[in-house]
Amino acid sequence: MAMAVFRREGRRLLPSIAARPIAAIRSPLSSDQEEGLLGVRSISTQVVRNRMKSVKNIQKITKAMKMVAASKLRAVQGRAENSRGLWQPFTALLGDNPSIDVKKSVVVTLSSDKGLCGGINSTVVKVSRALYKLNSGPEKDVKFVIVGEKAKAIMFRDSKNDISLSVTELNKNPLNYAQVSVLADDILKNVEFDALRIVYNKFHSVVAFLPTVATVLSPEIIEKESEVGGKLGELDSYEIEGGETKGEILQNLAEFQFSCVMFNAVLENACSEMGARMSAMDSSSRNAGEMLDRLTLTYNRTRQASITTELIEIISGASALEAAK
Amino acid sequence: MASNAAVPFWRAAGMTYISYSNICANLVRNCLKEPFKAEALNREKVHFSISKWAGGKPEKPSMLLDFVLGNAEKLTLGDHWF
Repeated sequence: MAMAVFRREGRRLLPSIAARPIAAIRSPLSSDQEEGLLGVRSISTQVVRNRMKSVKNIQKITKAMKMVAASKLRAVQGRAENSRGLWQPFTALLGDNPSIDVKKSVVVTLSSDKGLCGGINSTVVKVSRALYKLNSGPEKDVKFVIVGEKAKAIMFRDSKNDISLSVTELNKNPLNYAQVSVLADDILKNVEFDALRIVYNKFHSVVAFLPTVATVLSPEIIEKESEVGGKLGELDSYEIEGGETKGEILQNLAEFQFSCVMFNAVLENACSEMGARMSAMDSSSRNAGEMLDRLTLTYNRTRQASITTELIEIISGASALEAAK
Repeated sequence: MASNAAVPFWRAAGMTYISYSNICANLVRNCLKEPFKAEALNREKVHFSISKWAGGKPEKPSMLLDFVLGNAEKLTLGDHWF
């Protein structure tokens, strides 16, 4: 009898650690009955244990994702670095004119299909929107070509009327030039442009990505610019072999430049995606570890408190019996 | 000089320089000897889905391109250049 009294007393002393705080609001009699029915003697650690298990599982998943991203990054990094040699001669010949003022701009936004890769998709979207604002105006037209599921989802919210093409599932097979050139060909055939502005994340290191804009001009604009002089003025000093005209050469060059720049941009972006995913997963597994530590501490404290309560119960019960003798 | 004469022809056929150079590259790949040939041809897998937008939504069900460049002659993809 004395034991039962003390048990109830002990329960009332520890209402803050109770696993079910609602029980404290209910009348003490009914809650006692309920707990008596369930056979719960002390504070339940079940909830904390379940939580710990799920955090541990999440940590396992994020660790695995980090490993996968690291191995994919290694595969794509070399290719991305090698592909830089493709656009460099074009920039040397035609220059890069990010500030050129033209009537029809097309912003090609490159993003990833999958999430959980930090802020790389939102940065390209931000840069694309800034380009849209910079280049729009009276008698000027800006359209978007969106590569990747994530940027499509973000752009759909506020600039869906300006999207002219969207491309997804590019990353299913390992990226290759044939694939990107078919894509570039499709883009060239389906949009009218004076300048194509390709927005992507340039891979710098595993933790650093620079949002970058590469500009590809249409042949007519290149010709116009080279007549005016300036950066493209030196183009006339080149000799043209064979029977082709300058216009033909420039058209071929502009098309090939676009596919080469796209190839590099797609690779750089894939590389940045993997790097960003790696660091994001690294920090989330670290966070999960910290959370697990905190939960373990709570769990152990609760366990200890219940052990202490039990000891007190036994000792005071024994001493009560001693006193009754 | 043959290539110079060819310029207007493929341009007139509605091809871009990209498609022209891809077909040329494919011909070169086909000239490889067997173990390397299959490897080179299988490497050039093309897979993506593209959809045109009009009036704020995707106009038609997106077109899924999925093929190996080396098997181009087997394919007929609408008005595509393969």
